[in-house]
Amino acid sequence: MSDRVQTPEGGTPIVGDDPVYLNDPIQDATVRMLLELAAQVWVERERRLTLEALLEKKGIVAHDEIERHTPDTVLAARLKDERARFLEDVFKELRRVPLNQ
Amino acid sequence: MSTTPETLPPLARRSDAAYLDFVEGLREFILGKGADFEERLNSALEQTSASRGRPWGDVEEIREFVHSLPIGRLRDRLARSQQEMKWHAIERSFDEQRTQLTAELAKWDERGPGRLLLDPTFEHPAYTNVHFHLQPGGYYKDELSGFLYHYGTKVFFRGDNDKDELHAKLVGTVPAPTDGKVHRILDLACSIGQSSTAFRRRYPEAEVWGIDHSAPMLRVAHRRAAMQGDAVNFAQRLVEKTGFPDAHFDITFAFILFHELPLRIIHDTVREAARVTRRGGIFAIYDFTGTEGKSPYQRYHRWFDARHNGEPYSQDFCDCRLGDILTANGFEVAAAPLAKRAGGTGYMQHWFATRV
Repeated sequence: MSDRVQTPEGGTPIVGDDPVYLNDPIQDATVRMLLELAAQVWVERERRLTLEALLEKKGIVAHDEIERHTPDTVLAARLKDERARFLEDVFKELRRVPLNQ
Repeated sequence: MSTTPETLPPLARRSDAAYLDFVEGLREFILGKGADFEERLNSALEQTSASRGRPWGDVEEIREFVHSLPIGRLRDRLARSQQEMKWHAIERSFDEQRTQLTAELAKWDERGPGRLLLDPTFEHPAYTNVHFHLQPGGYYKDELSGFLYHYGTKVFFRGDNDKDELHAKLVGTVPAPTDGKVHRILDLACSIGQSSTAFRRRYPEAEVWGIDHSAPMLRVAHRRAAMQGDAVNFAQRLVEKTGFPDAHFDITFAFILFHELPLRIIHDTVREAARVTRRGGIFAIYDFTGTEGKSPYQRYHRWFDARHNGEPYSQDFCDCRLGDILTANGFEVAAAPLAKRAGGTGYMQHWFATRV
């Protein structure tokens, strides 16, 4: 991971790592999480639309099959990993809320 | 069909690309007409100024007013977040491929047609240690900084520069010296070398040098040029101390360099450009427009960009009258703003300076 220390020479003082713009850090975290959620929704929608288009094109899977499918153990484990990544993306913002304002 | 090789490594996952596609759209929405923050905040600023019966004073006064408005604070939150989201996604995606990408860079270091000259004894001046645009590690502290920068600018240019189209256009606009002689060209702070290769294509017989303080940037620049078959030389040098002989270059070039230099180094760099550019040669510069004539919102945005987007030197640059500095160092200057870019604030201009 990159060294976070910076050494600018004069100019406009740069703000620290986690500036608070709204009325309190909780509001900032809430907006950040909202943006992350919106990003994740788009990521999922883009993938689903791509997959559905490919499946339909190849005549492999009907939409109903996707709705009824039960994951096997391999897919279930993968979904768990993906869920952890999703939660990290959206809710990592909670770690940035300072203990004291 | 284009045969230009793809020089930007793919992201680790499709979902990373989709995430960054979202960020690209979000940025355009926030900074452009989607949220319409600029027009709404500027209207509020102008109405308040009119009702007070006096223009806005210094930027601190503007800042206090903008921050008194919920929409102003929300705009700042969103502007900061979209930049953080971009780097978070790019850094993670390339970090997952660190071993392969490091090997990929090493594979190209010794290949031609151009040369890559890195200086193992090079020491970065303190002023270069800034995380410009919030790029993690800045320009040189991560061995993958060049790849990070390349993908970051891809998102910034919204796909309009995927084949270096912007660089080709700007390089194509640079006037040749009046005697028409172009044997050697210097690209100052070339980063990943997009202008350098564009110059080589415009002047295939010319010797083109790209210099930068960042070894990770230069390695990507060299790899890109080698992959594309462009014979450009890249060297790890400082823009204020290039090490080239006097009057060596017919064209010296600087694309969005000066707003990332402290005032002291701006003066030193212009002096150095005057030294290495021959009489009748051209020093062509593209950079931010000055503060003069800016709307209150644009003045606010410049301050925000400086303080909250890792551009500590940009305010001083915009206030410094670069044309006067060029003239004082032996250049005759023609300058003009570039056309306003959709989603932006008409923020770029050129200085085409002839060495006299």
